[in-house]
Amino acid sequence: MVNPLTYVFRSKVVEKFEFSDAELEALGSELKMEVNKVFGHSLAIRELDSGSDNSTEIEISNLGTPHYDVERFGISFVASPRHADVLLVTGAVTLNMVEAVLKTYEAMPFPKFVVAVGDDACDGGIYKGSYAVLGGVDKILPVDIKIPGNPPSPKEILRGIFALVKKASG
Amino acid sequence: MNSNKKIAGSLSPVGLRLKDNRQIQFNPAVLETRYATDLIIDISGTELQIRRGKNNEFYIPLAEEEFLKTMPSFSEKGFVLLILFCVQDFEENPGFTLFYIFRMNGFTDVFAFMRHVGTETTSVAALFPSACWYEREIRDGFGIEFTDAFDKRRLFLHEAYPGGLHPLLKSFKNGKIQAIQNPEEAYPFKQVEGEGVYQIPVGPVHAGIIEPGHFRFSVIGESIFNLEIRLFYKHRGIEKLAERKTPSACLLIAEAISGDETVANAVAFCTAVEKIAGIEVPPRASYLRGILLELERIYSHMGDLSGMITDIGFPRMTTPFLILRENIFRQNEYLTGSRFMRGAIDLGGVKKEISGEVLSKLSLYLKKFVPQFESAIAAVHTSSSLIDRFSTTGVLKKKLIAPLNLTGPIARAAGVPYDVRLCHPYGIYKYVSPKIDAKTAADVLSRFEVKAAEVLNSASFIQKLISSIPDGAIIAETTGFAISNIPDGYALSMVEAARGQNLHWIYIRSGVIDRYKVRTASFCNWQAIEHAVLGNIVPDFPLINKSLNLSYAGTDL
Repeated sequence: MVNPLTYVFRSKVVEKFEFSDAELEALGSELKMEVNKVFGHSLAIRELDSGSDNSTEIEISNLGTPHYDVERFGISFVASPRHADVLLVTGAVTLNMVEAVLKTYEAMPFPKFVVAVGDDACDGGIYKGSYAVLGGVDKILPVDIKIPGNPPSPKEILRGIFALVKKASG
Repeated sequence: MNSNKKIAGSLSPVGLRLKDNRQIQFNPAVLETRYATDLIIDISGTELQIRRGKNNEFYIPLAEEEFLKTMPSFSEKGFVLLILFCVQDFEENPGFTLFYIFRMNGFTDVFAFMRHVGTETTSVAALFPSACWYEREIRDGFGIEFTDAFDKRRLFLHEAYPGGLHPLLKSFKNGKIQAIQNPEEAYPFKQVEGEGVYQIPVGPVHAGIIEPGHFRFSVIGESIFNLEIRLFYKHRGIEKLAERKTPSACLLIAEAISGDETVANAVAFCTAVEKIAGIEVPPRASYLRGILLELERIYSHMGDLSGMITDIGFPRMTTPFLILRENIFRQNEYLTGSRFMRGAIDLGGVKKEISGEVLSKLSLYLKKFVPQFESAIAAVHTSSSLIDRFSTTGVLKKKLIAPLNLTGPIARAAGVPYDVRLCHPYGIYKYVSPKIDAKTAADVLSRFEVKAAEVLNSASFIQKLISSIPDGAIIAETTGFAISNIPDGYALSMVEAARGQNLHWIYIRSGVIDRYKVRTASFCNWQAIEHAVLGNIVPDFPLINKSLNLSYAGTDL
């Protein structure tokens, strides 16, 4: 029989993680200051895929992984548009998604912001001219910031979010 | 040819070991192909006209009467329907030609049966269940009615598309269409009724950072009694976009089919075009392609492994996987300049040289990666609560694998060791064979273990390639000339992407693409989820979904 007290007194399980990116840390702390000021310490983001090729989703979810861990900077990804300040939209807006995109946007409380992430969300990218897409999020939603890239890296997305927070404060 | 012989000499040839210890050669010997075609002639009972395609696939035109007579016996003999698609005005035949492509266990070759049809024809979905979605897809794309089909709902054209619109017809010019605002009719889901049965509609917008799709659960208490999925929200019109494009311009479209299958789809696309143009990829390029393909498998599987653990609410256990995965993304960027290895593959080889120095750094990194990965996996095995959630959850019956053409890790976890790299080898896999692990329990735990084993196998496969990579050209010298003088023709190519068998069929006419048909593994594998969740509780759905790792983008096109 194991004495349960050994669980209490044994050394804590922690991951050894040697990683530092000075540029990311600098950007993060600046972002945190702005988020504190403009969004009352917490920026809630809802991600919406309107027809991307899934690489942009992967990079956005990478923001939450240990290398980036953006929750440290006051940013959280929320499950419902009703909790969100910002809508991150990826993809060129397919005809099959138009209704869902509009409903998601309508469900957000004011004030609300829209960020287009990735080349196809910015202007349709390689899908421009296809019968199946509208060609860019700004065709149906008021877009505040565009983050181009195929796909943009997590750091580029973070820079875009910083630009948005700056814009929202000004 | 000579250059390829050189690699072949330095490495032992591979083969697929069968039950009775018969060895199938990786290069289809004349005798064996004879046997397979003989079998088809036996079944159909007539002398058939058999044409060999550009990538060693066979094309067999069948008259309507022969077709109807032989399909039941093909189904009985265990032919697996890989794909069914339509081509308009194929070669000298105005109208529609349906291609039914089959494989048989134990054969490296695949057979395409060509059936010439009008705007009305008959369904084979009762014989080959996987045909159901293909037939609905063809109906949407070309307006062909399958009169006796049991499911005649639209597939990729949702309510916003006006009736009578068939975008893959040659007469349809790609461009803006008049979408229906506020459509009245709703999609008819299967209704399950009875005492205590209720429905849970989920999506298309989900709670996480994931792609859109709709799930309609019929639930009794907590157990799932029926699940119906509705996809194609991300339909971007990829096949139409490819029409009239030059092969080089279309490569970008191939890369965008599914983001985390960029390399796999680029290689499949390039292989088909190279076969049509008669381009021989130099050995060094084949090795480099192999390295990138396996790196893609590693990062893709790492995402699943961490995702499965996340979905049972155990975030601490996921961090080592996420850290290692980010490191692989950085290796990708170091090797190719892109975290998703975009633009790395080119017609005739690879776009940029990856120097020996860079490769040896990758090799050094992988030496560090392997023990770290192994310790993360060992940690997973120490958690009884995790094993409890994974084990016996989401069982996929083995008898579904062939009828639905389920492939990739999910099939290998259900006791079917099918892998395109071994069964229909291409590129470097003709000369070096990766190790395959299979499990039989077919639950979430087996899928986890198969994927974990594949990560390690891919890492050691990359090491093997790095240690034996020859010097030389990275792109065939004749590529530019061959592409600008590309003859009319068609070819089928298959690759084993992280999710399973991806299939590309390209038809080139007058130097441009006339028809580009893509079918990723997810298109077939999605249909597995409707079966795997039955009897499981609703909270296990995300876990089962993640363990199957299905791409929406790769399905919706």
